[in-house]
Amino acid sequence: MERLRYILQDALVNIRRSGWGGLASIGTIAVSFVILGIFLIITRNLGAVVAEWKEQFQVTVFLEDGITAEQLALVKKRIQSERAVRAMTYTSKEEALQSFKRELKGKESLLEGLGENPIPASLQLRVHEAYQTPEALRQFAAFLTRLEGVEDVLYGQEWVDRVASAVRVLRLLGLSVGLALGMASLLIVSNTIRLAVYARAEEIEIMRLVGATKTHIRAPFLLEGMIQGGLGAGLALLLLFGAYRATLWQLQLTPGQIFGVGVGSFLDPRWATAMLLAGASVGAFGSLISVGRFLRA
Amino acid sequence: MIQLFHVYKTYARDVEALVDINLHIQKGEFVFIAGPSGAGKTTLLRLIFRDELPTSGQILVNGRNVVKLPDRAIPHLRRSIGVIFQDFKLLRDRTIFDNLALVYRVLGIPSATGKRKVANLLKLVGLSHKVQMTPYRLSGGEQQRVAIARALMNDPLLLLADEPTGDLDADLSMDVMRLLGDINARGTTVVVATHDLDVVRELGRRTIVLKAGRLVEEHP
Repeated sequence: MERLRYILQDALVNIRRSGWGGLASIGTIAVSFVILGIFLIITRNLGAVVAEWKEQFQVTVFLEDGITAEQLALVKKRIQSERAVRAMTYTSKEEALQSFKRELKGKESLLEGLGENPIPASLQLRVHEAYQTPEALRQFAAFLTRLEGVEDVLYGQEWVDRVASAVRVLRLLGLSVGLALGMASLLIVSNTIRLAVYARAEEIEIMRLVGATKTHIRAPFLLEGMIQGGLGAGLALLLLFGAYRATLWQLQLTPGQIFGVGVGSFLDPRWATAMLLAGASVGAFGSLISVGRFLRA
Repeated sequence: MIQLFHVYKTYARDVEALVDINLHIQKGEFVFIAGPSGAGKTTLLRLIFRDELPTSGQILVNGRNVVKLPDRAIPHLRRSIGVIFQDFKLLRDRTIFDNLALVYRVLGIPSATGKRKVANLLKLVGLSHKVQMTPYRLSGGEQQRVAIARALMNDPLLLLADEPTGDLDADLSMDVMRLLGDINARGTTVVVATHDLDVVRELGRRTIVLKAGRLVEEHP
C-alpha cells in the first residue's frame, strides 16, 4: 500500500516536471481524438439516418380500381405468406383520398374538378431488412407485379443503399485517420516519457542498485503515460461536446431534429468511455516502449 | 556469508578482470580487498551484489547462488546488501533527506518509520544538521558519510564499500574506517575495497590483496 502511494507521488512529480513536453503529449492525443470523434459522431448520426430509413422503408403496391373483394383477399393472402414481408397495411381509395386532402391542407380546391376519386387503393408493405438489397427487392417487385389485380409497385431503395455505403466509407476513413493519428500520439507520448526517463536515469540506476523491482521502477512512468493519455482523451471529449452544442445552436436545432428522423446525438456514453480508455492505453503503451528499452536487471 | 569458487571475469577482447578467485568471508567479518586500481576490486564487489555476472565460477551470498539467481530475485538479494559506491551515486538535485528517503520508498517502508530511520542514521554519521542540504554543498568527506548512511538504510547483513576513503585525507579516512568498524561491531559483515595500504596496515584486519585480477596475498 505504502509503495502504491510512493508510485503515485512519483508519477505526479514526473508530470509536473514534464512541462511543455507533457502538454505536447496531452495536446497531440487530444487532437487525434477530436478528429476520430468527429468521424464517430458523423457516422453515428448518418448511420442512424440510414437505420431509420431502413426501418421506415416500405414497398407500395397500387391496386387496380376494378379489383374485386375476392381478388383483394387473394392478393393479401399471397403477399402475407411471403417471408420478406414484416407487416402489411391496406389503404382504401377513400382513405387515400382523405390523407391526400390532409396533405394539401388549404388547397383542397385543386381536387374539386375531379369527378371521381382518382387515387388508387394500395397495400403498404414493411420489408425485413435482410430483403432490402436491390436484387431481392427487384425479384420481390417482379413477383408482386405478376399478381392479379396489382396495377403498379413502387419502391425506392437505391439511394438508401448509396447513403449506407457512403457511411461505410466514411467510417473506414475515420478509423484509418484515427489510427494514423493514434500512432503519432503513441510516438509523441513515448518520446515525452523517454525524456522523463533520461531525466531520471541516475535515480533509476540508484533505485535498481538498492533493490527496486522493475515493476516499481516502471510503474510511475506507466502511470504518467496513462494520465497524459486519459487527460488528452478527456480534453478531446470536452472539445467535441462544445463543438457539438455550438453546431446545434448555430443550426437552430435541438437533438432529434436533424433530418427529422430522431438523430443528432452526441457520442454514446459507451463510446466516450472507450475513448478515455483508448487514450489511457495509448499513453501506457507509449510509456512502456520507452521504459522497456531502458531497463536491465 | 560470501563464497567464491573459481570465479573468472573476462570482458570483451580478452581483458581479464578476475582470474580464478577463491574466497570465503564469514558472517560478521571485516575484510579488506586491497590492491592498485585496475586490480579487479570493483568488479569483485559488483559480482557480489549481482550487478555483473562472472564469466565462469560460482558465487554464494548468504547461502544463495547469485550466478543462478533469476532476474526477478535480484532485487531481493540487493535489499539485503548495502553498497557504498566509489562515486557515491548521490542525487545532486535532491536534499540529503530525499537521497536517503529514496531507499525507504523502494523498500515500501511507511514514511513515519522511514523518516525516523533517516534521522537515526544521519545522527550516526554526524550530519543531522545538514538534512535539508543538497550534496553539492557538502564536502567530500560529508558526501562519503551520506553515502554510508544510505547504504545502511536497509539494515543490511552485508555492507560493501568501494574506496570509501578515496579522496579523503588521512584523518578523515580514519574517521570513516572507525565508522565502518562500529557498523561491523553491531554484527554487519563489512567488505572494503581500497588501494590505501596505509589504512589497511593500521587497522590490521583480514586483508585480501588483488593484483591484475589475481588473488596474490591473504593475511593474516
